[in-house]
Amino acid sequence: MLVLKGIPASPGIAIGKAVLLPGENLTVSKHYISLEAVNGELQKFERALQKTMQELDECALKVRSTLGTEYASLMDTHKLILQDPALKDAVAHKICTDYLTARSAISLTLQELAANFDKIEDPFFKERRNDLFDAGKRLLANLEGNKKDFLASIKRPSLLVAHDLFPSDTISLPENQILGFCTDVGGKTSHTALLAQSLNIPAVVGLSTASKDVANGDMLIIDGENGLLVINPDRYTLANYRQIKRELKKTESLLKTINHLPVVTQDGRRVHLYVNYDPRTDNKYNKTLITDGLGLLRTEFLFMNTPVPPSEEAQYKIYLAVAKRFDMRPATIRLADLGADKMPDFPLDELNDDDNPFMGCRGVRLLLKNPELLHCQLRAIVRTACEVPAQVKIMIPMVSSVEEVRHVRAAFSQVLEEFAKQGQKPLNKIALGAMIEVPAAAIALDGMINELDFISIGTNDLIQYLVAVDRVNPEVAHMYDPCHPAVGRTIHNIIQTAHKRGKFVSICGEIASDAKMLPLLLGWQVDGLSVTPRMYLRVKNNIRNLNFEHCCDLAQAALLMGSSAEIRELVEDNNHENS
Amino acid sequence: MVQKDLKILNRLGLHARPAALIAQTAAGFACNIELTKDNVTINAKSIMGVMMLAAEFGSCVRVTANGTDEVQAAQALEQLFNDKFNEEF
Repeated sequence: MLVLKGIPASPGIAIGKAVLLPGENLTVSKHYISLEAVNGELQKFERALQKTMQELDECALKVRSTLGTEYASLMDTHKLILQDPALKDAVAHKICTDYLTARSAISLTLQELAANFDKIEDPFFKERRNDLFDAGKRLLANLEGNKKDFLASIKRPSLLVAHDLFPSDTISLPENQILGFCTDVGGKTSHTALLAQSLNIPAVVGLSTASKDVANGDMLIIDGENGLLVINPDRYTLANYRQIKRELKKTESLLKTINHLPVVTQDGRRVHLYVNYDPRTDNKYNKTLITDGLGLLRTEFLFMNTPVPPSEEAQYKIYLAVAKRFDMRPATIRLADLGADKMPDFPLDELNDDDNPFMGCRGVRLLLKNPELLHCQLRAIVRTACEVPAQVKIMIPMVSSVEEVRHVRAAFSQVLEEFAKQGQKPLNKIALGAMIEVPAAAIALDGMINELDFISIGTNDLIQYLVAVDRVNPEVAHMYDPCHPAVGRTIHNIIQTAHKRGKFVSICGEIASDAKMLPLLLGWQVDGLSVTPRMYLRVKNNIRNLNFEHCCDLAQAALLMGSSAEIRELVEDNNHENS
Repeated sequence: MVQKDLKILNRLGLHARPAALIAQTAAGFACNIELTKDNVTINAKSIMGVMMLAAEFGSCVRVTANGTDEVQAAQALEQLFNDKFNEEF
């Protein structure tokens, strides 16, 4: 038995036999051919090229409808790279005069071209070598039989193990035959992770060596809850996981029965429960959820993997689809929170290599320094609200001062005027609110709350800034603590200040789906919560099992406590009593 | 032979999309077309070559066209550069 630790990309547990995606790696060894074989190898290369071009065309079409234009334009770049004389001529030359096999010739050419890219000093241009390798790997995959045929030939339900998966690969996956997948590379928001979530199957990514450690037919457990891959588990582990899987399934089917019921506590306190929505991971399950609306649309993805910022038209199309999806219910669109760990590929003012990016130019700071980005995004949102009678809300990320709110509001008013001049106006008033995630904004909220229509507390960043802990640093990660007295008191103060002015407060971030913390949040009188689709019914069920008055007592008690340990004991004891 | 010195007027420089436009346009002509910047010369019909120039905003690129339709080719490329590769923001 071997256990590998990776990154949980899509929750759930899958148990089954492994299927290994065949090699797509570049070879380093040179294989030679005889003079008579030259024409055969040239033809092989030509056929692979044709096939790959065709594949890219087909997949650009499919990708455009499922994942949006950002991936599709990537395919066009790949096509041009494959048609590039620098690639075609070099490969042909290596086959004809060096007598190399098509495979060796392609691998070698790719490596030579990549070396040229490495010489470029500008990091933006340097990054383009990845496009070259992606295109090259496709070509190699088509050279050696057809990977698509391989995937389509999977007849038995299996777990797919690969070094990496392209969006195009996953599109040819046979439906219901893949129970889960794991890859060597990728992170929580990689396209592989997003695809697993949209297919609603468990996935673990970033396993580094999975494709080397697993052999075809091995028994595997993919634990998408904890980010583990178990290879050839022993009897005890297998039985244990089968049990967990059964329980997960049981809870899920029980939860479905409360889908149509209102979100109220046992004693009748209504809580607005919203969903964090990502159009890229929407699936059948998510569509069946009955929600109070969209609590957080992160728009950064529109700005990633693209050499230029998205146009007003491109953004409008996405926002319109989102607004229609949530029809008359609130649809909260957060302005792009770029910077820090979300760097776009296109160059921007004030966005250079930053030693301390989380304290640097991100969120509203970056938008105000690049007013054309802000203007374009606001126009796309307002245009959406002019088209459909949705309850569109705009949320400003990373606000730390009232001046920032005023600047954004001025830009927003200007956009409204531009539309008014053409005789257009939003069918419903658009609310403008802020994400409260910087301690300064939380403490001095009374100074800016009058200028805001609503607020949402972004707890992930707020806690990180409050306790001054970088969650990625293993030395201090354990000090990232939602139970810290400062966290509770800050959340409570924010809600009090907002309620004095009659403003709506919601909470997003992991704390909102933490069953132990939920009674405290309710007790501090939060109006709404926003959680992932996957957690939605679990949180709803928890709220429906709580007593609001009891939550108030508990929350009051927590405010009087001076240490994390006391608060943790309080919520854990309470959680124990409830279950 | 026709030679022209062209300046990069779009703010993002010759990234993937303008590079693609140049390579596609160049491929439509029969003549040889080369781009030169900082003593590096590449084939304008190669998207990777154009990207490898890493030509940023404000820099100068020399176009050299040599063949039957050299005048039209140089003109077409000049047009692309002047139109900022249809990127206006």
